[in-house]
Amino acid sequence: MSETSRETGLLDAFATLADTLVADYDVVEMLQVLVDTCREVLDVTAVGLLLADPDTGVLDLVASTSEESRIVETLQLGAEAGPCVDCFRDGRAVLVPDIDATDGRWPDFHAAAASQGFKGVFAMPMRLRNQTIGALNLFRAAVGDLNARDLRAAQALADVATIGILHERSFRANDVLRDQLQGALNSRVTIEQAKGVLAHRHQVDMDEAFRMLRGYARSNRVPLAAAARGVVERRLRL
Amino acid sequence: MRQHDQPAGRGVAAEAVLAVAPVAGASVSTLGGFLSPETIDASDDTIARVDELQFDLGEGPCWDAVTTGRPVLEPDLRGRPGRVWPAFSRAIAESDDVAALFAIPLQVGPVRIGAIDMYDVRPGALAEADLLRTIALAAELSRTVLRQVIEENGLGEAPLAARPRSRRRIHQATGFVIAQLDVSAADAELLIQARAFAEGRTMAEIADDILTKRRRFTVQGGEFEEER
Repeated sequence: MSETSRETGLLDAFATLADTLVADYDVVEMLQVLVDTCREVLDVTAVGLLLADPDTGVLDLVASTSEESRIVETLQLGAEAGPCVDCFRDGRAVLVPDIDATDGRWPDFHAAAASQGFKGVFAMPMRLRNQTIGALNLFRAAVGDLNARDLRAAQALADVATIGILHERSFRANDVLRDQLQGALNSRVTIEQAKGVLAHRHQVDMDEAFRMLRGYARSNRVPLAAAARGVVERRLRL
Repeated sequence: MRQHDQPAGRGVAAEAVLAVAPVAGASVSTLGGFLSPETIDASDDTIARVDELQFDLGEGPCWDAVTTGRPVLEPDLRGRPGRVWPAFSRAIAESDDVAALFAIPLQVGPVRIGAIDMYDVRPGALAEADLLRTIALAAELSRTVLRQVIEENGLGEAPLAARPRSRRRIHQATGFVIAQLDVSAADAELLIQARAFAEGRTMAEIADDILTKRRRFTVQGGEFEEER
């Protein structure tokens, strides 16, 4: 990607993210825009965003550039014992330019990543002041460092998303944060159920089912979670 | 018969039936499909004995209700029986306090899990309004009973699955079951949980069977069968 188109892509991304941060914005859609943007403008092949459950602290995948189950599993393994959970726990970026060189530190994650052809992984904390709420994970198909500009851009995108979730203006109220996080995680439950309904009804895979759901939400200008709820409650037939 | 230290369902289910239907006694039991025959709650010893008799003999109105998914109504069991069960009819003839017997199936979606049994000391039909109220109550009781059986066996307290990636599969499988059976998400999840309980497996394993299309719930009777 050329310099100019990259800059344009990034600017568009920030503008889109800013647009989503109006009242009653769709958190899940905003995070989906974020991961898709990362893959488009950064030198990476797959991106996943994980948020921690406010009660258990367990990281759960909320948005990813693919819903394909093997990729999803790799992302989640990274959140159980892998760079993602380390990044979340320490609130610092964890940069792994060569997964093969991690010497069995995360065997399950390593095996899953290798099976998907991922050679490097870069985990960015989703953090505001002293609070870390999740992590943004970038995967590359080639060994090597992510260049400094891409790293800065990724962290900036993660920060915008974090602010979006924490909703700056009500940031101080702890239970609001909890509600926002829980809302995003619960939306994901409904989205998974809706994907199941569509995958079964149309005999398609989860990736295609997600595209159908998102396509409907976008063209009808309804939040992704609302479209998912309609499908699950059998009010909306896609 | 009442066990007051048990959670909702036991100790209150039979009472709930008596509140909507003017009968002498009622019981709520699990049977058929994947749950072993057991009386969850009974309002008196007579109906508890009727249940036991049917369980022992493997036949009777409650079995037919569960098999067909329809109410079995015997307003005059001894005088003008609608149907005759070889062993049960003979056994019940000796009991002169059971003149009328009604069985209503309990089901979650199409999945049958048990029955309500009701008796009266004199012959007489159940009024249509009473029957409809009992059927409506049966829909509610079905979920309560199923949830309770799962909880009593220590499965209810466990989280859906410890790992997020297993949970995601369970949610997707829940979607499959919603599409297969046209039930709510809560019912679909309950059915996966019940299946896991019945087979001594985890919800994640059942979810995998469903997602890989090895098995599915059928609309007819809600059996969980191998896909061909």
